[in-house]
Amino acid sequence: MKIFWRLIFCAAVIALGFWLWTAIFPAPEKVIRRRLEKLAANVSFAADQGNFSRLAGGESVAGFFSTNIEVNINVPGHEQVTFASRAEITQEALAARERLKSLSVKFPDVNVTLAPDKKSAVADVTLDAAISGGHDDVVQELKITFQKTSDGWLITRIETVRTVATFRFTIAAPAVASLWRGKPVEFVASGSYGVSMVICRRLQL
Amino acid sequence: MSAQTDSNSPPRPGWLRVIAVGRNPRVTLIRILILVAACFVVFKFILLPLRVTGISMEPTCKDHSINFLNRLDYLAHEPQRGDVVGIRFAGPHVVLMKRIVGLPGETIAFVNGEIFINGAPLAEPYEKNPCDWTLPPEKIGPNEYFVVGDNRTMPPQDHVFGRVERERILGKVLL
Repeated sequence: MKIFWRLIFCAAVIALGFWLWTAIFPAPEKVIRRRLEKLAANVSFAADQGNFSRLAGGESVAGFFSTNIEVNINVPGHEQVTFASRAEITQEALAARERLKSLSVKFPDVNVTLAPDKKSAVADVTLDAAISGGHDDVVQELKITFQKTSDGWLITRIETVRTVATFRFTIAAPAVASLWRGKPVEFVASGSYGVSMVICRRLQL
Repeated sequence: MSAQTDSNSPPRPGWLRVIAVGRNPRVTLIRILILVAACFVVFKFILLPLRVTGISMEPTCKDHSINFLNRLDYLAHEPQRGDVVGIRFAGPHVVLMKRIVGLPGETIAFVNGEIFINGAPLAEPYEKNPCDWTLPPEKIGPNEYFVVGDNRTMPPQDHVFGRVERERILGKVLL
């Protein structure tokens, strides 16, 4: 019986040691997930949030990005967003706080792939954003590239992933365009991506 | 003799206790644990409960309705035409719900709202809202399916539809 309790004690000590080790030295994947959670929290703002905290949140968003960045987010039904510097990100984050009543951003699914040299990583994420006044939420898959720097893991690139390959409108654009009533040819020829989508969220048990 | 036996037997539990924990609490507890474990496995890995947001699958799936995604359905066979499926983004927590209308290797086109597969019209009994979409033929890749919503009353550029890779199809939606 004594041996049994000794074994239990040893197992508990090992488990505690392992937990402490992972808490003090977390795996890069875990660090990146936390960074994304923080980014989502800083990008989001509530309708009843005070001006000062809104401003602080907006300015802190740029801190998640590297100085050399390439952000290209093309969400269906919304304007394409491109950023090339931290200043542009701060400007847009503050402008969004002026323009919108509230914004809630989440990354419900995050898959992190670490490069062999462990200096960079790619996170495949689902962006789920609820904009005040918007009928449907914005849902888009994104590929976010992180680089390990002295300031931690910073975002260097964000690109849009096409979940559904759109119909190739460009094949016979002028002919097809003529069939649309009141739609300019250029719009049809651009191969616009749809906006009406049925999104299903898993109910959490 | 029988009166003696009755007096020795344990007292019958009250009706309130029987309703609350059953005649044998230990058996009831085991039953509850088995039921909880079964529910966890079924609803976490096999039948994923989904809350629908959006109108592009109406009238088949109403906005804010609850549906289940069967993840085991495509273990035995490949997705079929007419199946309503869940399509994942980066993971399974948010999925796109669409109907499969085109299978791998086929050529699909829309002519005045009617779907043509390899030049032949496709019967769509589920399609209740007629549309006037006309789109040029499109070849579906060997590992792709063509998906579209049932509600095509909006212009095509306002509707998410097109080719999806097989690996993105998580399972069949139970209707």
